[in-house]
Amino acid sequence: MTVATSSRPPTPVPRQGGRSDRRRAPSGLDRARRREAAALVMPSLLPILVLSVAPLLMGVLLAFTDAELVRRPDYQFVGVDNFVRLAGNSFFWDSFRIGMIWAVAVTLLQLVAALGLAQLLNSGLRLQGLTRVLALIPWAMPPVVVAIMWKMIYSPNAGPLNAFLGSLGLPDDINWLADFSTALPAVIVVGVWVGMPQTTVTLLAGLQQIPAELHEAAAMDGAGAWRRFWAVTLPSLRPILTSITSLNFIWNFNSFSLVYVLTEGGPGGRTMLPMLFTYLEAFKNRNIGYAAAMGVVLVVVVVLLLAVYLRSQLRDDRVETKKKEG
Amino acid sequence: MKTRGVSIAACLTITTLLLASCGSGDAGDDGPVTLKFQALSDQPAAIAATESIVADWNEENPDVQVEIVPAGWDGVYDKLITQFNGGAAPDIIHYEAASIVSFARDGYLADLTDLMSDERRADIPEGILDSVTVDDQVIAYPTELQSYVVFANRKLLEDSGVEIPTGDTMTWDELREIAKATTKGDVYGLGWGLASPTATFMSLAPGFGGTYIEGTGEDATLTIGDGEMALPEQVHAMAYEDKSILPVTMTQSGSEAIASFYAGQTAMTVQGSYQAANITKDAPEGFDWVALPPLAGPEGPQQAANPQTLSVNIDSEHVEESAEFIEFFTQTENLAALNEADALIPATTSAQEAMTDKLGDENGWSTILAGGQNFVSAPYLFADSYAQWKDTVATPAYQRYLAQETDEAELAEQLTSGWEEITQ
Amino acid sequence: MRVLAQQLVRLAQYVALACYIVFLGFPLLWLISASVKSSAELNSLVVSLLPQEWHWENYADALARQGLVSSAGNSAIVALASTALVILVALPASYVLARLKGAIRAAGVGWILVSQVFPVVLVILPLFLVLRTIGLTDSLVGLTLVHTTYTLPFALWMLQGYVAAIPVDLEEAGAMDGGNRLVVLRRIVFPLLAPGVVATAMFSFVSSWNEFFFALVLLQSPENYTLPITLSTFIGGEGKVALGPLAAGSVLAAIPSIVFFSIMQKKLTGGLMAGAVKG
Repeated sequence: MTVATSSRPPTPVPRQGGRSDRRRAPSGLDRARRREAAALVMPSLLPILVLSVAPLLMGVLLAFTDAELVRRPDYQFVGVDNFVRLAGNSFFWDSFRIGMIWAVAVTLLQLVAALGLAQLLNSGLRLQGLTRVLALIPWAMPPVVVAIMWKMIYSPNAGPLNAFLGSLGLPDDINWLADFSTALPAVIVVGVWVGMPQTTVTLLAGLQQIPAELHEAAAMDGAGAWRRFWAVTLPSLRPILTSITSLNFIWNFNSFSLVYVLTEGGPGGRTMLPMLFTYLEAFKNRNIGYAAAMGVVLVVVVVLLLAVYLRSQLRDDRVETKKKEG
Repeated sequence: MKTRGVSIAACLTITTLLLASCGSGDAGDDGPVTLKFQALSDQPAAIAATESIVADWNEENPDVQVEIVPAGWDGVYDKLITQFNGGAAPDIIHYEAASIVSFARDGYLADLTDLMSDERRADIPEGILDSVTVDDQVIAYPTELQSYVVFANRKLLEDSGVEIPTGDTMTWDELREIAKATTKGDVYGLGWGLASPTATFMSLAPGFGGTYIEGTGEDATLTIGDGEMALPEQVHAMAYEDKSILPVTMTQSGSEAIASFYAGQTAMTVQGSYQAANITKDAPEGFDWVALPPLAGPEGPQQAANPQTLSVNIDSEHVEESAEFIEFFTQTENLAALNEADALIPATTSAQEAMTDKLGDENGWSTILAGGQNFVSAPYLFADSYAQWKDTVATPAYQRYLAQETDEAELAEQLTSGWEEITQ
Repeated sequence: MRVLAQQLVRLAQYVALACYIVFLGFPLLWLISASVKSSAELNSLVVSLLPQEWHWENYADALARQGLVSSAGNSAIVALASTALVILVALPASYVLARLKGAIRAAGVGWILVSQVFPVVLVILPLFLVLRTIGLTDSLVGLTLVHTTYTLPFALWMLQGYVAAIPVDLEEAGAMDGGNRLVVLRRIVFPLLAPGVVATAMFSFVSSWNEFFFALVLLQSPENYTLPITLSTFIGGEGKVALGPLAAGSVLAAIPSIVFFSIMQKKLTGGLMAGAVKG
């Protein structure tokens, strides 16, 4: 059986038992197993249906109406009018570019920085317990003060960052959040900071999960630390890396309140993220139908991007499986 | 299985929508009426003042008890829009004109025109009352306001040989001259927190005859003419021709920019009037400061009014009782006490007078309170697309202009074409 | 020579770790510093980590605010309950999601992604109506359910990643030894998943503990407020922020999280690993 077939829907025929099928051994489930699976999933289904799927569907349906948030609303189905109108909204699409830079930059930097930190936290240095807790500090800061604190740190004339640079003899008058060239990088740093704990913890747990035997075997084959990282650590982490990067990307693309408090989209619109438009349209203009169309567009774009990413990741997975088996 | 899930979900949402639009409510018993009053918490002193007013009312009116539901300013718009939509809004709602108007437009607020006493109506300056009048209906009682005030470091002015202006008003040209005269060495004449310039420029535009918006609701139109451009151009000239504005302050908020004023780096600063209380508290010891007379443009010292407000939920079962409570809440002595605690300007003439009598010249109060009669209605409050235009068009455009990325013509063009694109 | 190289590597590791800690920890340090400064000092241009004058009154002010302590209690209840629910529900479901291909997996992944991408502002109004119909607005139970539901996608998605990282051979070996599926799950899969479960639990706890928007919109009575809502009332109108008390309140609010992390981080260690493989 070849790799290519694994994307087919499961057919009952020859799956069972074949060694080559082990990656998805349980997919050849008979009916009893399927029921077992359903029993495992069922408890999560009810709250999900009532509290998530229903409101989501409702939100998506609104995209095809002219709904407004007035008292006793009365709205009509307007087909794809909202989408046609949105296609001509240059502000929204401009912010898309900024949103992409922001989301890709934050996600990648987070990943690289968190991978490094997780490795360090996993390499048996002293005070491991303490450093692990310190690494989680961004999680412990209540979100209401995060932006306020960073604004103070970045303050051009009363902030510790410039004071520190000044003490090193570097320029001490950089207006981090208000200079047209530094504003976006400065908020990206805050974005990375905010997301570090969760990426680090996730990867740290992933590292813990790698059987020690794999490293030992590689070490016995004479592989150095660097070689082992590429040959053992990364491949073993792959499913977790895939999961956390895709989620981080979604969250980053979706966030706007942190950046909004830091810069209000300024200076001159350099940090205006697309979700701000959805918010303004939905709540400030109360055109919930049009706003829902923006939401649907965001979903389509992000899901398409992720589909490409996840597919390529999964393909690599399969190739690897094949190699191992071949 | 999947389709069934979908149809269940669809039924559910439809049912809930029906339920919500019918508007449910707990039928009142015969016992005392309880009104929920969602009050926005501010400084502890203001919270205490509100509590004391409510306690007075509850004592006098055993049949109509008011219960304070404290909420924060942060996110209250999101909270209210959900409450209104879900049919769960409180009876009495504390907010501000600029944000409450849209709820009135969407039909969520009771018409208080006939419930407001003649006495109160006469006591509220016309411009302030206009700012809470939507389609000829009074939809809120105004309570507290702020104006923009110039605070000056007396010593720095006197050292430069500038006589402290005293008259009823001060012109923008005078401000420019003083700023120029006090700019020397490390000292700049003026510090002005213009990080979010739109609200400042629009509030001060009436002095130059600038209105920005004509018409209301969806029909509102934007004009950018001389009156609208005068103030941004003056700031630009002061910053880049005279070099009398400390550049960093133009990218800061008002409360960030005030630090340079305390440090003696700027001789004057334009701030919200409430900062008078903070200056008293935070300025270094011996800091000698004064509030300069209200700024006047060619048209006079008018500033656009955006008062804090008290409104009544139209779906409240006790609209009349709620209005009676607000009537009580806005009595002269109550408003004066509340505004003193918040360091703001009362929305009624009698309360302004009461406060002037009580506080006199202390901490610039008489100058600040004198500005209480200069408020005019702000047409932009009534335009549907204002909030979006402000955040996505105007603020970026003004920031680019103030950073010298664009010139006057480009600024005007960006403001108008952005408006057209949003309202198309 | 070799020893020297190793020592250099160690040293580099410590330096790198120190840089990370400074970057991640400095804002908290600055927050603590702000919490003991007077309003005059916070509004001056003087930059200093240590206050000129220790101003402990901020803590008294913060604690005197209505309900800081009781709202911390509410937050703890909601965060612990929703964390327990999330793990209870997500653990079995994620196993199915990872090991099963086909329609259920497709629907599951689709829902997970869409529910994370679709803007919350568009979901909140229908959600509010649903909760009002079942009488769960302004209730900690309702908020717990909402937090559970909206953390589940993350938990499922992450846990299925951890499940996918467990070699299937291990399970097959267990099955060959004659264990039925549940026994295999309990004896082999769940122990291997432990670090992942701990990581997911930490995330669930934190996202609920810090969650602002749902709590803001759903909770009406002050006695139900959670910590982020109470802290947000320190921020006044017109950008007036009582920075000192806000910083003090935030430092107090950070303590439970840090205690929770200290307890949990020990469990992040996968000591069960070797045993599971050999057994």
